[in-house]
Amino acid sequence: WMPTLAGDTQMVLPTDTVMYQAQEVAGVVATSRYAAADGVAAVAVDYEPLPVIVDPFKALEPDAPVLRPDRGPDKANNHIWHWESGDRAGTEAALQEAEVVVDQDIYIPRIHVASIETCGCVADWNPVAGHLTVHMTTQAPHAIRTVFSLVTKIPENKIRIKTHDIGGGFGGKVPVYPGYVIACVASITTGKPVKWIEDRSENLQADSFARDYHVNIKLGATKDGRLVGLQAKTLADHGYSDAAADPSKFPAGLFNVITGSYDLPKAFVEVDGVYTNKPPGGVAYRCSFRVTEAVHSVERAVDMMAHELGQDPAELRMKNFIRPEQFPYRSATGWEYDSGNYAAALRRAMDLIGYEDLRREQAEQRARGELMGIGISSFTEIVGAGPSHTFDILGIKMFDSCEIRVHPTGSAIARLGVQSQGQGHETTFAQIIAEELGIPAKEITIEEGDTDTAPYGLGTYASRSTPTAGAATAMAARKIRDKARLLAAHLLEANPDDLEWEPGKFFVKGSPERSKTIQEIAFAAYTNMPQGMEAGLEAVDYYDPPNLTFPFGSYICAVDIDRGTGEVKIRRFVAVDDCGNIINPMIVDGQIHGGLTMGLAPALYEEIAYDELGNNLTGTFMDYLLPTALETPAWETDKTVTPSPHHPLGAKGVGESATVGAPPAIANAVVDALWHLGVRHIDIPIQPWKVWAILQEKGVAT
Amino acid sequence: MRFEGSERIAAPQAKVWAFLMDPQQVGSCGPGVEAVEPVDATHFRARAKVGIGFISARFVVDMEMADLAEPNHATIKAHGQAPGSAVDATATMDLTAEGAEATNMAWGADVNISGTLASVGARLIEGTAKKMIDQTFDCIRSKLEA
Repeated sequence: WMPTLAGDTQMVLPTDTVMYQAQEVAGVVATSRYAAADGVAAVAVDYEPLPVIVDPFKALEPDAPVLRPDRGPDKANNHIWHWESGDRAGTEAALQEAEVVVDQDIYIPRIHVASIETCGCVADWNPVAGHLTVHMTTQAPHAIRTVFSLVTKIPENKIRIKTHDIGGGFGGKVPVYPGYVIACVASITTGKPVKWIEDRSENLQADSFARDYHVNIKLGATKDGRLVGLQAKTLADHGYSDAAADPSKFPAGLFNVITGSYDLPKAFVEVDGVYTNKPPGGVAYRCSFRVTEAVHSVERAVDMMAHELGQDPAELRMKNFIRPEQFPYRSATGWEYDSGNYAAALRRAMDLIGYEDLRREQAEQRARGELMGIGISSFTEIVGAGPSHTFDILGIKMFDSCEIRVHPTGSAIARLGVQSQGQGHETTFAQIIAEELGIPAKEITIEEGDTDTAPYGLGTYASRSTPTAGAATAMAARKIRDKARLLAAHLLEANPDDLEWEPGKFFVKGSPERSKTIQEIAFAAYTNMPQGMEAGLEAVDYYDPPNLTFPFGSYICAVDIDRGTGEVKIRRFVAVDDCGNIINPMIVDGQIHGGLTMGLAPALYEEIAYDELGNNLTGTFMDYLLPTALETPAWETDKTVTPSPHHPLGAKGVGESATVGAPPAIANAVVDALWHLGVRHIDIPIQPWKVWAILQEKGVAT
Repeated sequence: MRFEGSERIAAPQAKVWAFLMDPQQVGSCGPGVEAVEPVDATHFRARAKVGIGFISARFVVDMEMADLAEPNHATIKAHGQAPGSAVDATATMDLTAEGAEATNMAWGADVNISGTLASVGARLIEGTAKKMIDQTFDCIRSKLEA
């Protein structure tokens, strides 16, 4: 057994009972890939079938087999934890008094990040030095090093994690997997470097999954469309072990941000974690700690409410948005939203797509029997975990860090505790330093992912890099600028308070010709510093964010449904995002385009499905469909800018906004196209066969 | 998964029964069957290579003949394993004479496949199984009717 990031335990290798299909049962060490494959084929295991729990509701029935007897006789059931947030009695009363209540079961299916590069590592034990180097695909190298040290008792200075370039993470590369442990043990045993790499099917079947939330949501409103209360009761299927990468105090992540963009006076959320015979999890899938589940639920419910009331979904949203003057806004479940202007983002999206015209067109098409739908999602994200008073993983506070060294000739290196997986940290963080110190970005090296050199940090996930490490970078640069001011004053024989800064140089107030560039100042830091000043020009900052950041956006999707095949075709998709001040527009656009495609995926295609015997039916990309350029529409993106008041740069995280915001826009559009036929809800992924069956049932198929 | 059907074989019932009760004879008609070894009168073990889609696996299958009611009815229980995959099946057959020279065989099988083969080949299993069943009966017919 080994610890999970959620404080549960999971098996490295099972000794008697296998908990899920595709669980590792043995390790084979060989000198080549071919020999290893032969060795794996030679492992004979005699499996005796045991009762299987696939359905988390059945897991809670009194006669269900207990999957984890190792937890002791006190916990002879499959219930892991109960978590709740908000005002139960107040919310129940509000729903009781509400004139209209929407009550819907929503399943947010199990999906897999399916990053292009699977998980793997090379463990290299040096028996002479007693030193372990692990080259691995992890999003959180420092945390991994600490876990390794705690588990193996190897001193932390004798463990070095190096990540190199990573081929996608999306949350799937936060946990520790048995393969890493086995590779390390094999290297220690053999004294040779040992490589472990998953094949695609192993990756899809054995790695941590995401989502798998069974949500019942109740949303109450007055007849004129004022939302009065929201209640969500949820079963979280964690597989056989809770291996979520959520902060300690949040077993269901930030799911209680489910009040979304709306000024909801009352809300109550409860979640129960359950064991089943599936791989342990869950991780994020490009989503800040269960926010996708929350956003999908509330955006579906608000859309249903609009239809129930016969109001336009845009109008109902406008009526209930938190207004700009209400920020900082305290939500009914306790979050303090930093800033927002939700109506402006929705209006921008409506203008871009030509909302009113589209609605007219929809009415005309409907009169002709054509199925066209318009869906809106006005999401609020909660990212940048997190303030140390509430956020930790295995006790380690969720700060992040940056160390900057300016070399004598004026170029610089910055090392960070986060870990790029293709998000372009090298660009974004160099730009922050360039902006703060005036050193050209091309003369700044950004280095991450070597625990021997980088300052400690919690890593990259949950859209936290810019909110935390980005802030640390700005703060470290400002510490350097403060010292540079003293150096410039010394060089210019002026009072430091009489100096003014413009990017790249200090000059004496009123006489701009008397100036020193940052390069001149850097040289002086090593050659001509004043008496009593330490040499060098460097700084480190560990940034503990005062709050999370709350990026938001409004997405509008128009779909056409093929009445012959049930296929959903996205005609247009407009995404207006607001992530505060933008450091690099191209990077942000890249994040949004990729995120939208990873939002389209679970909306229409992706699901890790199991049969009743617990067989994973989606073990290859033949059955687990990732959208390619063929399936992906041309995204239309735009921005509004509402800076975060507490972030040093006014920036918010953005990496996951689109993944979080896109699925309900698509699902709402499909249901909008079918509402007049009596369809109220369709669980994602909305695959053609589901729509086809509905078209058949309603008698509108062609 | 449930498979069932009936086959008309142009041979006397006693001959059909004898053929079907001989593991070597039946085994020679199973696609991919490499060897059949009797364990005792009602148990035997077969080795077979099965390919579904792009994956193939070499199964060791333990079989048991039960509920024998000569020359009419038999139940066969099978449990097979391959690296990473397993199959469990219960099959029944009922023979009825159609005159002196022909026999009707009604058969059914409940098959559970688990592991890699189920995951990777799920969509292909039914088609592949049908093909293998057809091949088996074609072979049985050709041997018995010859």
